[in-house]
Amino acid sequence: MNRAPTLFLGVFFALAFSFVGLVLTNQLTYGAFTTHVDEDEGKAFPQALPGIAAQGKLVYQDLGCISCHTQQVRRPGFGADTGEGSRGWGERQSVARDYLREERVLLGSQRIGPDLRNLAARKNADGAEFTADWLYRYLYDPALVVKDSNQPRYAFLFKTQQIVGQPSAKALKLSGDHAPAAGYEIVPTARGEALVAYLLSLKDTYAYPETKNVYTPPAPKKAGEKKEGHE
Amino acid sequence: MATDSSHIPELTPARSASSTLSAETVAIDASLRTPLTVLIGSALVWLLVASVLGLISAWKLHTPAFMDSCEYVTYGRIQPAQSNAFIFGWGFNAAFAVSLWLMARLSRGSLPGSAVLLIGTVFWNVGVTLGVGGIIAGFSTSIEGLELPGFATPLLLVAYALIAAWAVVVFRAGRSYQIYASQWYIFAALFWFPWLYAVAQVMLVFSPVRGTVQSVVQTWFASNLFLLWFASIALAAVYYFLPKLLVKSVSNYYLASLSFWWLAIFGSWAGIARLIGGPIPAWVQTFGAAASFMLVVPLVILGMNFFGTLSGSWSALKDNVTLRFIAFGITAFSLVLIGWVLNAVHGIAAITQFTYVTAAETQLGLYGFFSMVVFGSLYYIVPRVLNTAWASAPLVGVHFAASAVGVIVVVGSLLVGGINQGLQLADAHVAFAEITKASQSYLFAATIGLAILAIGQLAFALNFFWTLGRASADCVRSAKTLLSAQPEAAR
Repeated sequence: MNRAPTLFLGVFFALAFSFVGLVLTNQLTYGAFTTHVDEDEGKAFPQALPGIAAQGKLVYQDLGCISCHTQQVRRPGFGADTGEGSRGWGERQSVARDYLREERVLLGSQRIGPDLRNLAARKNADGAEFTADWLYRYLYDPALVVKDSNQPRYAFLFKTQQIVGQPSAKALKLSGDHAPAAGYEIVPTARGEALVAYLLSLKDTYAYPETKNVYTPPAPKKAGEKKEGHE
Repeated sequence: MATDSSHIPELTPARSASSTLSAETVAIDASLRTPLTVLIGSALVWLLVASVLGLISAWKLHTPAFMDSCEYVTYGRIQPAQSNAFIFGWGFNAAFAVSLWLMARLSRGSLPGSAVLLIGTVFWNVGVTLGVGGIIAGFSTSIEGLELPGFATPLLLVAYALIAAWAVVVFRAGRSYQIYASQWYIFAALFWFPWLYAVAQVMLVFSPVRGTVQSVVQTWFASNLFLLWFASIALAAVYYFLPKLLVKSVSNYYLASLSFWWLAIFGSWAGIARLIGGPIPAWVQTFGAAASFMLVVPLVILGMNFFGTLSGSWSALKDNVTLRFIAFGITAFSLVLIGWVLNAVHGIAAITQFTYVTAAETQLGLYGFFSMVVFGSLYYIVPRVLNTAWASAPLVGVHFAASAVGVIVVVGSLLVGGINQGLQLADAHVAFAEITKASQSYLFAATIGLAILAIGQLAFALNFFWTLGRASADCVRSAKTLLSAQPEAAR
């Protein structure tokens, strides 16, 4: 190894090997994946995000939500993401095609908070479906809706404004110490609304041909045993 | 406190007198004085910045109400700002300094003028400042390890070229016909980083590829940033200092080239195993796991090289601070490689994935291994380059003790807390809120560990700038002569 050109060539081919093997091969094979056209429904899946949800995704990115939340449901038996006796974070495992339309894929690598991939199809802490109102209150102050949540408050996504005419339909329903002064209301800012729209768009429920092999129905509910993962 | 450290040999610039080699090393060190001072100074400033950001983000993890009214300091921004300030601010500046010095000494070549190198250093630090500021202001790309916004990264690549080119220049200018193991690693790392970084920037930020191919590219970049850049630079330093300070040759040196190529060819596939269980093709996960298992080979060889050289000379650790830091570093690296092997086992990955165990591994690799080796190297390099002894020996002791204890506390608490978290996550009967509650005490311990690390960093920074102050009179004089004499030579 005393000749610089040999060394250089070796160094070049070493990384070229993994670049071609991992990056290029994947890009050329499943990087060319296409959407699945469902003739019955007349739609191509996965569907594009509605405009406001796409804006909300940018808020999700700029606030760094990925630091604590993953967006991937692992297969049944691998962790407790989905399948029988799991946290029920997804109706099925995530597959590559789910992420096809995403300009930025936010798989994440930390579960300091719960997975959010299939949030909108799950039940919240009260056992009901997630609604915009519930998420607004959760973001404003998690303690309002979930006991012992470790999520910080995102009160900066809301503003206090004077009620002019009719109160806003989006105004938070707050009572006690949290309630704003009389004649005022607390409403989400545009960013807050977009973020919640994005969170409510997170739903991987469509069964692709490739998920049918691995699709596992949610665990049958047994009385007293069901303890759903929540925020 | 201001004990003179001139009685401790490796903390002073003392050289074996009356040899031609010695005159040459003096000239080489002098040619590197200004650029290395700037690189090390910026590295230390970033280290302290990262430390402050790290303490804020660690505190927020167990006390979410801490500073939660301002979106600029929300955890999701402070945490990536911290990791980028640490990696690109501290890590790269320090790696540049160490690799330039090693390359110059090993190639026996002086730096022919430092103006372009200094411009590159300024560009680099401006780029990192823009990038970290951009993350805090909300322009993060939200790609792990690549959060620096797109307006900062092209500047970083330009600055990188202006800096890294000089390692090749001193190599070409040198008189040595041997190419030593340290030089393979530095050469390779300097070539690999821009490739990794440019590919990641183009395929993820500027022209994103489709779907989870992004995750493959991101993981390929992030794991190789550690293995092919940080680990390579640190291994180069270990291969240099270990035999030099023990005054004996590396044991089983003939195997060193095998572990080098093994790490390069198979190691660069190993990191992808982090995506086990994710929405990517199964063959990618399998290849990643196989490559991770194969890391046993370089692990054994590096162990034979390093611990084989150290064995029988353990007493040398007692009175040589550089060796102490390096011994700590190679122990940490062995543990990191063992961690990579273990995490490729499906049953283990199912528990440790997405938990604080990954944070523990990152700390062990970047702090326990890379930073510790760099600290040790700088204790040898700085007095020679500044041509003056370290200002305070007690501060050196404080730095080592705080770093060693801090790393053990941080990594230990995150590891145990993370395994606990992983086991609870895998058990659907444990409510999520209970898991976060159970993690609190471990996270608090990790914060204390970070505070201990910060004490060590303060001691090191104080000592460096104090030493610099003492040397500055000489330094200004020689910088003036350098600047007036060098332009001719550089052309």
